[in-house]
Amino acid sequence: MRTGSIYTETVVHLAPERFAADVPYQVAIIDLDQGGRITARIEGERVLIGDHVTEARAEGDISYFRKS
Amino acid sequence: MRNGRQVVVAGAGKTPFGAFADKDLRTLAVAAGNKALENARTSPDAIQAFYLGNFAGPEFTSQNHLAPFISTALGMKGIPSTRFEAACASSGSAFFHAYHAISAEIYDVAMVLGVEKMTCQPTARVTEILAGAGDTTSEVLVGSTFPSLFAMIARRHMHDFGTTREHLAAVAVKNHENGALNPDAQMRKVITLEQALNARPIAEPLGLYDCSLISDGAAAVVLCAADRAREFIDKPVKVLGAAQASNYLALDQKDDITTFPALRAAAEEAYEMAGVTAKNIEFAEVHDCFTIAEIVAIEDLGFVPRGQGGFFSFEGGTRRTGAMPINASGGLKSKGHPVGATGVAQICDVVQQIRCEGGERQLKRHSLGLAQNLGGSGGTCVVTILGRD
Repeated sequence: MRTGSIYTETVVHLAPERFAADVPYQVAIIDLDQGGRITARIEGERVLIGDHVTEARAEGDISYFRKS
Repeated sequence: MRNGRQVVVAGAGKTPFGAFADKDLRTLAVAAGNKALENARTSPDAIQAFYLGNFAGPEFTSQNHLAPFISTALGMKGIPSTRFEAACASSGSAFFHAYHAISAEIYDVAMVLGVEKMTCQPTARVTEILAGAGDTTSEVLVGSTFPSLFAMIARRHMHDFGTTREHLAAVAVKNHENGALNPDAQMRKVITLEQALNARPIAEPLGLYDCSLISDGAAAVVLCAADRAREFIDKPVKVLGAAQASNYLALDQKDDITTFPALRAAAEEAYEMAGVTAKNIEFAEVHDCFTIAEIVAIEDLGFVPRGQGGFFSFEGGTRRTGAMPINASGGLKSKGHPVGATGVAQICDVVQQIRCEGGERQLKRHSLGLAQNLGGSGGTCVVTILGRD
């Protein structure tokens, strides 16, 4: 399981058609503990910059992280 | 980059920006092109090459092969006509390439025209098309929208430098204050700080008033070698510096998202070409696709120290009466943002100020101006410096 800390985040309220059913949803850039950075979705509790997160699941192309 | 021969803007023309159900892409483009020809007191026969800036005409309107589609409608025949695409910096990039072709003595006279027709698609589809300016193999796949990329830049800028939502809102309030005086602006209304702060969220912390508009419009300039300028116009405006630079599309590939390295690189080169520094620039049109983008731009251009853009904006430094007037036109926020037209439109706005044709928005100091055009979330940046002797 990948883990990391939040570098930045946003909550999306206006989405393209294919994600319209998901709004509002949180997207974050995560500094991975293993090195590197990825853009992923956050599920569950909202996170802030600096929060530690753990990968919960992947669905298609989207990785979902949760607050650790 | 080597400086070639001097290039000048011999004519400039724009359509109003707005939502025009009765005007298609080509109609808008031809209107702007004809205005620029008229302004340069010349005819299509004088144009030796046509440079089109357009981001997503094929996606918005199903028409491809756009450059000759437009140049022939303007009455130009047989000349090279090429479309440049660099997201929101498409026509800035077209201008950069036209400038260098004349500077390098390949042509004497060229037209640069930017156009976008966006309001023919519903907002969700527009959002999808604009997201194509980001990296569709990473950030866009997980649901990042164009506003959300700038929202993440804003969040980090707030975290690192103490920028606030009030600072962001002050940018919107100022740009609407200017745009309200611009007869060609799309949203000619003054807004309050409270209205901006209480607007519905688009991508937190950005609300509706932090975002530029969905617009139709076109803008064009006639460029020529300085030694031929008198054939066209009495008071040409000199292009003193023109630079373009690039960087990653995806934010997660950048070390620090609170600055645009492509902007810094283009600015440095444009200043060097013009033989000036940021301190010499008297006013600027910067790429405020989102309020945070204007704050980062004035920092990266060197008008204010790193991290001070929000504070400087909130204190009024960027108003028409401030120390560094920014977006006296109303900016993308109020004037409108027909994506592919924006780069040339900014140059038209700077030319207008230098020629002292700014009407109620005319600035006191207007002899040396800068236009900064950003593509995507920083993948391309074009900086142009214009002035009189």
